[in-house]
Amino acid sequence: MVVSLKRRNGLVDFFYWIWDGMERTVFIGTKFSFPSRFVSPFGFLGMLTFVMFVILGVTGALLMFYYEPILDRAWDSVQKINDTVPYGFMIRNIHYHASNAMVLLAVLHMYYQYFSGRYKIRNEIIWVTGVVLGTVTILEAFTGYDIIFSERAELAISIAASLTNSMPVVGPTIRDAMFGSGFADFILRFYTMHVFLLPVVMLGLMAVHMPRFLVFDVPLVMAISGAIFITGGVFPVDLGSKFEPTVPPGITVPEWYLTGIYAFLRTQYDKFVTGVLWPGVFIVAIAMTPFIDRYKKFSWKDRPIVTAFGITGITQVMVTTYWGFYITPDITKPLVARLVIDPIFFYLVMLLLVPIGFGFSYMMILLAKESERKAKLAASKAPHKSSPINLSGKWINWLIVALLAFQVYLNIAAYNAALAGMKNFALFLTGLILMVFAGLFHLYRHGLNEAKKIQVPPPAEAESPKALDGKELSGSLPQ
Amino acid sequence: MSEQDSTKDPLSRRDFLKLLAAAGVALTFTPFIPWGKFMPNPSNASLERAQVILPDGTQANVKTFPKNHSEVITYPKTGDSVLDQEAFKKWQFIRLPDELGGAVDDVSAFRAYSMVCLHLWCLWKYWPQEGRKRGECPCHGSMYNPLNGKAFAGPASLQASPSNVLATLYFEADNDGNLWIKPAVWSVNENGIVGYGRFLKT
Repeated sequence: MVVSLKRRNGLVDFFYWIWDGMERTVFIGTKFSFPSRFVSPFGFLGMLTFVMFVILGVTGALLMFYYEPILDRAWDSVQKINDTVPYGFMIRNIHYHASNAMVLLAVLHMYYQYFSGRYKIRNEIIWVTGVVLGTVTILEAFTGYDIIFSERAELAISIAASLTNSMPVVGPTIRDAMFGSGFADFILRFYTMHVFLLPVVMLGLMAVHMPRFLVFDVPLVMAISGAIFITGGVFPVDLGSKFEPTVPPGITVPEWYLTGIYAFLRTQYDKFVTGVLWPGVFIVAIAMTPFIDRYKKFSWKDRPIVTAFGITGITQVMVTTYWGFYITPDITKPLVARLVIDPIFFYLVMLLLVPIGFGFSYMMILLAKESERKAKLAASKAPHKSSPINLSGKWINWLIVALLAFQVYLNIAAYNAALAGMKNFALFLTGLILMVFAGLFHLYRHGLNEAKKIQVPPPAEAESPKALDGKELSGSLPQ
Repeated sequence: MSEQDSTKDPLSRRDFLKLLAAAGVALTFTPFIPWGKFMPNPSNASLERAQVILPDGTQANVKTFPKNHSEVITYPKTGDSVLDQEAFKKWQFIRLPDELGGAVDDVSAFRAYSMVCLHLWCLWKYWPQEGRKRGECPCHGSMYNPLNGKAFAGPASLQASPSNVLATLYFEADNDGNLWIKPAVWSVNENGIVGYGRFLKT
């Protein structure tokens, strides 16, 4: 076995050559950084959202090999992917859970930017495109779970089409143009939008939305991917039941990111107002935030009104999301009593919760600011306390070896589980493998950092007979 | 010179040229406006008098069809098995219960309403149980009167006319008692529009 002591061999050189060549491309303005230590993921949630987009693109393309967007075959083809095609179960579950993760990460990303005031300093365009991107992401996820054409999907498509139809003046025209006539068209067009139109729109928006500094943190990307696999293993997405036009469906609720709107629809009030206008007002309000927020500072503590407004918004989203989910399990009650949310009760709760939530958050922010000021005073007197975990180089190596051994075990277990037909367990174990890799990579880079710190032979560096690498020394040599 | 142009001429030569260019652009792209008709799908089903075919393949007959009972029928049929699974072509074919006039052996005992709920297009169905005997939508609980297809409870009942009455089909019976669907006219004053509604004839 040939082992080179040089840091760069031919292959690595080739990668560096490609990397340097990127300077002549559109990526010239973009700075990629691979952090060498753990950094808070809040700063690069957008990148994680994009990683989800890539995962969805890959798994989605694989699903396209088997999926058929035909009225009476869509559900069967998904069933075939799920039950018959080898590893189809895995691909489908990853695709489904990654879509949820993408929506969730996008929402978290938005709220982090909101509370840290990043939409200021001429980032307004990025903020607004981000809001549009988020909306399109939800449409993308929505069209995705519709084209399975289960009972639930059929209801979702119906609601989408009838809400479009309910728009004044232009509604029926848009519905005709975008959805075509009837479900045979709906499913084909939702498919077209899901796999082509919306992703292309998203890519276009991303080109505008992309900041110049990007962080790609390998351990965290792997950990989140692993979490998706594990979720898929523990909570595999079901197929639902195939839609039969002669068998009217039972009660269903939409995906979690839409139950908020669903709660409004269930109040029975006019469907255009509750299903189109309210969500529209909400989205526009978020998009307009940078132009309303006139605070000169960035921190959430220095912008109490904006922060309190954001917290109140999150609370309301949570309340309505839960309310949309909740259907009383008491089947002796008539359908209307189970489904319909009393609009007076519903809006009254909102009317009460909003000022209470706002006032309470506002007060807490002021208190937090005050206690922070006191803590700073106290901290300037007391010595800074922290307890770092110190591992010697030897222990880092042993830990990595142990993790590698664990990886081998998990690999065998995952393969055997797949052979035995225990698909969820295999998916779960594969997720665990990704998680372990995340830990392994983190340890590895930690070890590299630690190794850099150690000054091995202290004296006489200038007299060293041969340079390790010409390139690395060239900068420091005196002329 | 330019000053003179701007003060004396109401329209400078540059502005005039720009106007012509704008007109040119507009005229070049005008022919594409009707191309928007590419997007809606032209419907291909012809509306004819058709037999009432029950799910078991037989033609509904006034003498044999049970009272206070409903089946799903398809109209208009295209002959394409995929397109015939369309929810917009599905109708609840109901024979009314005795107290609502279902006892008579003629067409007046029968009703058919579009299964697409007028609220958010879920599919409702007829519930024959004692105390119900009405159409109920599983999604948001709209309820329909089997006599005329009018929503009397739930969100669909709160919608303005014509969006509170279901589209319907009209029947005729031949001498053997076999039921036929009369050719439908999709307008709010005739059979109604599926998913939109119908004006009740007074």
